[in-house]
Amino acid sequence: MITAERKPFEEIKEMVKPYSKLLVVGCGTCVAECAAGGEKEVALLASALRMEARMENRVVEIDEMTLDRQCVYEFIDQLTETVDNYDAILSLGCGAGVQAVSDVFPDMTVLPALNTTFLGETKAPGVWMENCRGCGDCKLHIFGAICPVARCAKGLFNGPCGGSKDKRCEVHPDTPCAWHMIIERLEKKGRLEQLNNIYPPVDWSTGQGKGPRKIEREDQMI
Amino acid sequence: METKEERQGLNFYFFFCQRIDKEQEKNRRTIEKSMGDKVRLFPIPCSGRIEPIHILRALEKGADKVYVLTCREGLCRYREGNLRAKKRVSYAQKLMEEIGLEKERVELINLKKENGMTIDTLVEDLVGKKTNIGSSPLNKPLL
Repeated sequence: MITAERKPFEEIKEMVKPYSKLLVVGCGTCVAECAAGGEKEVALLASALRMEARMENRVVEIDEMTLDRQCVYEFIDQLTETVDNYDAILSLGCGAGVQAVSDVFPDMTVLPALNTTFLGETKAPGVWMENCRGCGDCKLHIFGAICPVARCAKGLFNGPCGGSKDKRCEVHPDTPCAWHMIIERLEKKGRLEQLNNIYPPVDWSTGQGKGPRKIEREDQMI
Repeated sequence: METKEERQGLNFYFFFCQRIDKEQEKNRRTIEKSMGDKVRLFPIPCSGRIEPIHILRALEKGADKVYVLTCREGLCRYREGNLRAKKRVSYAQKLMEEIGLEKERVELINLKKENGMTIDTLVEDLVGKKTNIGSSPLNKPLL
């Protein structure tokens, strides 16, 4: 899941100031799960913006709409009939959603209301943890399905570093040491010998560092 | 502090756990009839059902003051409903402060008595209570 957090209200307020007809558009997928950009958050932000404008004696029209997915054309197309009624779209989608909407409606101003943060997991109600860096070279089968790239502060492929204390990371003492968890899990599964090999660090040059990555699959194309 | 006349002109919205008064349906109608448009009552099955958007919408629709009435902490039939209501009211207050609206416009009241309370008397008491809250800036006409 892609996680995000709402931008500070002041920043959003400044962004939307020039526009009097605004459509606040949410996304019902990842950012809804992390309580940043779903239907509820759209309603809260739109309500707050309407009230703030009212208190400043500004006449604005702020409507709300939430798409099931803001990064897929078929869902974005639902905006086609209404989009011309607005001066701008305030998107509560992730960065991919904002750009996708803008690509579909290139003449429309599309503003981001969220800061997209990381690929994560819902750890508990109200807690989201980064656990995938999207490196493009997954080694989870070796490390007991615990990613040392994303979850070890030092991104070590041949840990532990030796600095952890009470099963906690020395860099972020609030965070469990990923390598402690890897070793515990492999030990339990009787597969600790997997760590006898030396693993080279992630080769970031194969994917990242070459501009935006792209997946193309002939069988999925129309 | 507002005058009695000003207080009488305020609009109050009440979200309340319907378990605080077994006769809430009858008592709610009684108070709505006697106070008219200045009070709006919203019974909810548990105070844990309250969402920040309910509070914001109430303010947007004309409430000068919003009360969330919950049963006593530790006595929620669903265990944590009133604790969740507390967190959600705090979140709504944070959003209100961001837009420059006084957080005192919403108040959670954790009722202390275990029984014997009726919603009509509670509403009457709270509407009559002195507050520092005047008319909401959202209810003033546009200049």
